[in-house]
Amino acid sequence: MGTDFILGAVATSVKWGDMLFYLVLFIVLIALLKHFAWGPVNEMMDKRANKIANDIDSAEDARQKAEELAEKRQSALKESHVEASQIIERAKKNGEQQKNIIVENAHGEAQSFKETAKQDIARERQDALEGVKNDVAELSLEIASKVISKNLQLDDQKALIDSYIEGLGKQNEVK
Amino acid sequence: MNEGAYVQEIFGIPFNISNDLPGLLAAIIVFFTMFWLSRKIQLKPTGRQNVLEWIIDFTNSIIKSTMPNKEGSQFGLLIFTLFSFIFVSNQLGLMLQVNVNNVAYIKSPTADAMTTMTLAFMVLLFAHFLGVKKFGFKGYIKNTYFSPIPFLLPISILEEFTNFLTLALRLYGNIYSGEVLLKLIYEFGKSFGLISFIPAIPLELIWQAFSVFIGSIQAYVFVTLTMVYISQKIEKE
Repeated sequence: MGTDFILGAVATSVKWGDMLFYLVLFIVLIALLKHFAWGPVNEMMDKRANKIANDIDSAEDARQKAEELAEKRQSALKESHVEASQIIERAKKNGEQQKNIIVENAHGEAQSFKETAKQDIARERQDALEGVKNDVAELSLEIASKVISKNLQLDDQKALIDSYIEGLGKQNEVK
Repeated sequence: MNEGAYVQEIFGIPFNISNDLPGLLAAIIVFFTMFWLSRKIQLKPTGRQNVLEWIIDFTNSIIKSTMPNKEGSQFGLLIFTLFSFIFVSNQLGLMLQVNVNNVAYIKSPTADAMTTMTLAFMVLLFAHFLGVKKFGFKGYIKNTYFSPIPFLLPISILEEFTNFLTLALRLYGNIYSGEVLLKLIYEFGKSFGLISFIPAIPLELIWQAFSVFIGSIQAYVFVTLTMVYISQKIEKE
């Protein structure tokens, strides 16, 4: 049993067929496992590793984009603040200008009104004066004609003057 | 415990059927287990795929411990297959032993020196082949036998044989002795009827559990040393 115990199979004669058998068996097993188990699983594991790496990258990208966007929004907000204040400023200025223009116009118009009024008054006066002049002339003519027609007697003169004054009063009333 | 072997000659080549049959059975078990585990492969792993990926991760970590990831990844399939085959072989004899007319038909295939020597021979041949492939024949000779110092040449040559023998006989010895003790306890249980049968049950149970542990450790040691030998051949010292 001595040698048999140590190397059981070797004892009588080497069954070297076993060696071939196990070599072939092992190679076939490797091939089968590669085709059915190792290949697909490993492929999937690689795919997963790639996907995870890609996901990490894209997450980083997305984060950067979001940051950029936030920054842009912040600056846009600031700009809009400035713009709004500019618009208000401009509106104020416009209002001021318009006010000035309106006031100036009003001034001008008032001035021109005044002017025309003054002119009207002056003309009116002129007209009145001329009217009075004409009346005076007529009156003097009338008086002259009356004097000439009545022969200027003292008694008569008194009556003449009275009538003249009366007539004057009437004329004034008419006027 | 010292069964006769059923030897069949095919084309003049002697085949030890009581060694080949359990090997075939172990390979079939490995293949169908892996086949069953690898159905419905998805990007998001579930259930069985998780188990398979865990095994693959485990064998890959064995490679990673001796070799950089980029170089080692090509050995993934070899180590995966080697580990699962040896693991199943080690456990097979603990669960199932079929003897007909004192001839074993099912046992641990690794409880036979022929099997372990074949496996060791195969991986070491592969390691030497990789060494030659990487450095060329001259570089391989120089790297393997003349470094770090040339006068260690005899020891280096001796080392190649001891590597082979230790790798094969460590596995064989562990598994064979485990089976021998299992059978001894079985014989002891039979010998005095009920008086010995009852204490033999827990003894057998304990030794079986321990053998499962040894079988797992030996499978791990075998593939780890395989990777060490391969890395010795393809890395400059």
